[in-house]
Amino acid sequence: MLTSYNSILTFNKIKLFGLCFILLAFSCEDADYDLDNPYDPTNMDLDPPALFFHPPEVSTNLGESISVEVYGLKLDSSAGAHFDIRYDWGSVTVDSVVPGPFFTGLNDPMEIIVDEQGILDVFIYFLPDVNSDQSQSGTWSIATVYFSTISRGESELLFGPNTTIRDANNERLTINEYGSGYINVE
Amino acid sequence: MLVIRGIIILHLVSFCLATETTRSVSMKTGNQLAVLEFEGWSISEPLTKFLTEEFRETIRELEIFQVQDQGLTNEINIFYPRKKNYWACWSEDCAIDLGKRLKVNYVIAGNIQKKDLDEFLISGRLFSIDMETLIDEFTMNSSGITDSLLLEMKKMAYNVSGLPVPDTLSVGTDTSEVAITGDIKRKRQWFKLPPIPTKIKALMMSTAIPGSGQIWVQRKYPGYGFLGTEATLGMAALISYYNYNKAWGGFEENYSSYQNGTDPHILEELRPKVIQYAQESRRYNSFMKSIRGVAASIWIVNMVHAYLVAPSDDYFDGEYFFDLEYNPNVNQLQFNFNF
Repeated sequence: MLTSYNSILTFNKIKLFGLCFILLAFSCEDADYDLDNPYDPTNMDLDPPALFFHPPEVSTNLGESISVEVYGLKLDSSAGAHFDIRYDWGSVTVDSVVPGPFFTGLNDPMEIIVDEQGILDVFIYFLPDVNSDQSQSGTWSIATVYFSTISRGESELLFGPNTTIRDANNERLTINEYGSGYINVE
Repeated sequence: MLVIRGIIILHLVSFCLATETTRSVSMKTGNQLAVLEFEGWSISEPLTKFLTEEFRETIRELEIFQVQDQGLTNEINIFYPRKKNYWACWSEDCAIDLGKRLKVNYVIAGNIQKKDLDEFLISGRLFSIDMETLIDEFTMNSSGITDSLLLEMKKMAYNVSGLPVPDTLSVGTDTSEVAITGDIKRKRQWFKLPPIPTKIKALMMSTAIPGSGQIWVQRKYPGYGFLGTEATLGMAALISYYNYNKAWGGFEENYSSYQNGTDPHILEELRPKVIQYAQESRRYNSFMKSIRGVAASIWIVNMVHAYLVAPSDDYFDGEYFFDLEYNPNVNQLQFNFNF
């Protein structure tokens, strides 16, 4: 009995030492990576705070629906925004606009949409709650615009000059750069 | 975190050493026996060697004593470098002195004398090293040649072990039921591997498990030192590997999500995580590489040390193969290489 107990102890020790010595014999792979995802805001060459369309290029077929997000890059906290979006109204039509998480707190944001001959005005307001009277800061989706394609061709998406974002004190936030988008209907 | 790791390593090392200590204490108070090579008077040296080894083997098989290996017992040459006459140690003082040096509890010294044409006298003395006294003396007569001598040696092994001699051995001249020298030789011609020199054996053991060769040749402290050092480094490598694995898992998961992701918000959050996990995995991998370098160096030193401290065998020393030995004439360590 003593012998078998000693044998088990010895075997366990050999296993432990064996494991340690095997580990001594090799090393592992070094982490090699490329942070080159085109949707990574760092790779977009935008000077924050900025507004851009995501994805910046959409290829689709005639008659299909597409969605494009209006994105804010490193935005400060804000209470309301007016987006003046220019699109080719002969190529696509706006179906709907859905607010994103940027202005969503405990309450859902309030939105007003005016779509008139290639100019889409989207007004979004943060509804204050017990925690805050303005949105969180950072890189967030502000709204998603759904389009339907009506003719073939390439159309551009642009932010117009009336685009503004204001904080809870109604002061205008500085936007350093505006990105553009393309819709290619085949 | 580092303190906790240190405590865990210390506990593991002390656990390993503690079990070894317990075992060595029980061995020291027990039954370690060294059989000095019998002295042959008027019989050939190879036959004396063979009979001594058979005697050792028989006692070992009876499992009353833990019989020290031939190579280790012959290490006594280091203490008494007289050429092949250390067996002349017949007195109590000499045997006890040798026993202490060999770190055993009992020593057997003996001789085989050729009295007449076919008559041999085998004498043996059993000394207790712990009690520092002669415990028993055995004398046996044999009227045959080698087969009978073999039987007598086996009988003596039973006597030394305090066991009754079995009938198969007591028949005396009837050798039909026991292996005779010729049979043993024939069998060994098929299965016996070439003898491995003690130095090479110690080297191989230390190559497999650092320190084990040193422990086997009774250099216990350096042996435990090498074993403990390598085990500690191994544990450090294990802990590093655990942390590396964790960091690598985090890196793979986040990098995969980053590569396949399309949401700028999520990608912006993933980017610093990928960089952080990559840096951590590189750091732990670099630590493992450093440990590997240190451990490999110590491992090689341990192998060389095992080879150097292991005793040289008579058949091995300077006759063939290679050997490292100190030459007092030129006051240099020399590398002998012979075929």
